[in-house]
Amino acid sequence: MQKLLTPRRTILKGAGLAAGALAMPNIIRSARAQEKVVNVWTYANFIPDDFKAKFENDTGIRIQIRLVDDQGKAFNLLTAEQPNPSVDILTIAGHRFSQFITSGLLEAIDTDRLSNWNIVNPVYRDSDWIVIDGKKWGVPILAGAEGLAYNTEVVTPEEAESWDVMFDPKYEGQTAYIIQDFMSVTMLYLGYDGNMVEYKDDPEKAKAVVAEARDFLIKHKGQVRKFYDAGAEVQQMFINQDIVLAQAWSGPISKLIMDGFPVALTIPKPGSYGFVYNFNIAKNAPNADNAYQLLNAILGSPEVGTAMTRSSGYLSTIDGAADGLNDLERRASSLSQEELSRLTFFNTEADQLKYSLVDPAVEEIKAA
Amino acid sequence: MATTSERTGNDAALIRPQDGTRGFWTRLTANPAYRQASDLLLSSDRRRFWLLAVPALIWMFGTHLGPILTMIRISFMDSYPPTAGRIPEMTLENYLLFFQAPNYITPFVRTFVYSTCYTLLTLLLMYPIAYFLAKKLRPGRQMLFLLLLLVPFWVGEIVRTYAIMILLGNRGFLNIVLMGLGLTSRPIPFMYTGFSLGMGLVYLTSLYMLLPLYASLEKIPRNYLEAAADLGAGSWTRFRRVTLPLSKDGIASGCVLVFLISTGYYATPVLLGGPSTTVFAETIAGFFHVAGDKWPEGAAFSTIMLLASLVTVGLFLRLLGRRRGNLLG
Repeated sequence: MQKLLTPRRTILKGAGLAAGALAMPNIIRSARAQEKVVNVWTYANFIPDDFKAKFENDTGIRIQIRLVDDQGKAFNLLTAEQPNPSVDILTIAGHRFSQFITSGLLEAIDTDRLSNWNIVNPVYRDSDWIVIDGKKWGVPILAGAEGLAYNTEVVTPEEAESWDVMFDPKYEGQTAYIIQDFMSVTMLYLGYDGNMVEYKDDPEKAKAVVAEARDFLIKHKGQVRKFYDAGAEVQQMFINQDIVLAQAWSGPISKLIMDGFPVALTIPKPGSYGFVYNFNIAKNAPNADNAYQLLNAILGSPEVGTAMTRSSGYLSTIDGAADGLNDLERRASSLSQEELSRLTFFNTEADQLKYSLVDPAVEEIKAA
Repeated sequence: MATTSERTGNDAALIRPQDGTRGFWTRLTANPAYRQASDLLLSSDRRRFWLLAVPALIWMFGTHLGPILTMIRISFMDSYPPTAGRIPEMTLENYLLFFQAPNYITPFVRTFVYSTCYTLLTLLLMYPIAYFLAKKLRPGRQMLFLLLLLVPFWVGEIVRTYAIMILLGNRGFLNIVLMGLGLTSRPIPFMYTGFSLGMGLVYLTSLYMLLPLYASLEKIPRNYLEAAADLGAGSWTRFRRVTLPLSKDGIASGCVLVFLISTGYYATPVLLGGPSTTVFAETIAGFFHVAGDKWPEGAAFSTIMLLASLVTVGLFLRLLGRRRGNLLG
């Protein structure tokens, strides 16, 4: 048998190469952290193109956007990447904060580093959901609502005054909704608390409420053309006239209205839920300084808020942003006082109980 | 017999640059370390075998078995992705969940029923096309026709799915034609039904059926059919007794490919399916998207689906194997 003689120099070279290869991820990571970039996970059109170009030009910091259009997906991605995430800023709805915070995925916002913090409307910046354990966890950027969207050429405003219309046989096979979101609305419609805070200490009652809402939706499943997931899907269905009614997030519908489609959005009786999208900083963010620079720029002037509303369809949280909108844009993105009075913000207090019951119910509705 | 150094010298002379400088290969093959390594690795059949096998095995483990084994490992955990301060424990609960809740069985069964039906439909649609290509076209034109059939597949799956949506939507081409001809006064709701889903899946998987069928039909010698005709066999008998049995390998490959792809499709059912067509891939995705931190349940359900698909395909192949050479009796 041939004996392999390996010279000491070769062994040393090999060991050096192996050590280099093992250290490479850390070398690359620190080198990338030195780059002038900020990595953002967000929804489509949340960062307007013009603003992005101007920010990159002014600061030399490149904004790298990854479209992550689902809160669960964001949670999974970030959990899988920790403790070395690739993201600096991610977009989380206020009512989903707690899941991220209890899993140690976020860094609290240091408002002292945000010179323009006070430009955020006090309704949002001082609200209770933003503070957990005495710290603020997000920069509110856009506000939206779970509304009733309807084709104005087919459905009358009177019909759209109540969620009843979603279950009217007249519109059989012409409605669509996101099951998970519509479960909360259905609970409210049936006279219960869709946030489930009232049943926090009464799991049996909570179970009964979810079961009733589930059975109600199964009973009316024939009304539904499509259970959808993303804003673009509901826009497409309205454009193709596949549906005439839908429970929808306000942003995508506002965009349709701005584009001149015969669609309207309302908050019907007995009401619905509102939410606020925030930019949050990931724990161990590789470019935290650049992230704060971007947040400061976003809060730099009401014009940025105006542009964000214009591109996303959601209402800006920045004071004075609505002033820059034209009549159509303002009408598309805002709600009347009466509609606002029917709106309650999603609350995270009973989330664990709520989703442990709602998630299986969603599967049962799909399977039925 | 030439020595290693002589062979190297001759090779080096062949690839030496004209200007007299030593080329890369010359320097490499002259290097003692290179010679020592090549002598070591290529000195026996067994070593040459392992030299070729190792990259293949690394590829198999790294890209195929590795992720599957990881998925199986996660499927036995009680929590994943890992969260700070919590050490996951091993459990069978994720598998039991599938058998305890009927709401998961329904999409599971539906997936296998749909996949079986769509596979048979794809076979019925593609067989005549493959037969036409392989047996009725001159060889020079076969490539041209195959190329024409391949063109739509140069764009991605999602783009082709959107093409189906444009075709079948309420304001789609099909409804416009039907209303234009006065056959209906209102659009027919083709979209978000079993029909749209079936059409999408058959369209998207047709190539995986067509190519194996074409390959097997094209290999059947023409003189077999001529001999059968000389012996008095009619066209149907020739097809039943000669062509069909000899194309069985293509049928098996095509059906296995289409069936496995159909069971795993996710984007197409999401985009084309409706409230009553939820398939198991959507149920699994629900664990990874909406529910947040329920990867173990999703991994367990994926493992169940993988095993069920493999068992189904195994049974199918065994059934075909038993009927070798006698497909229609």
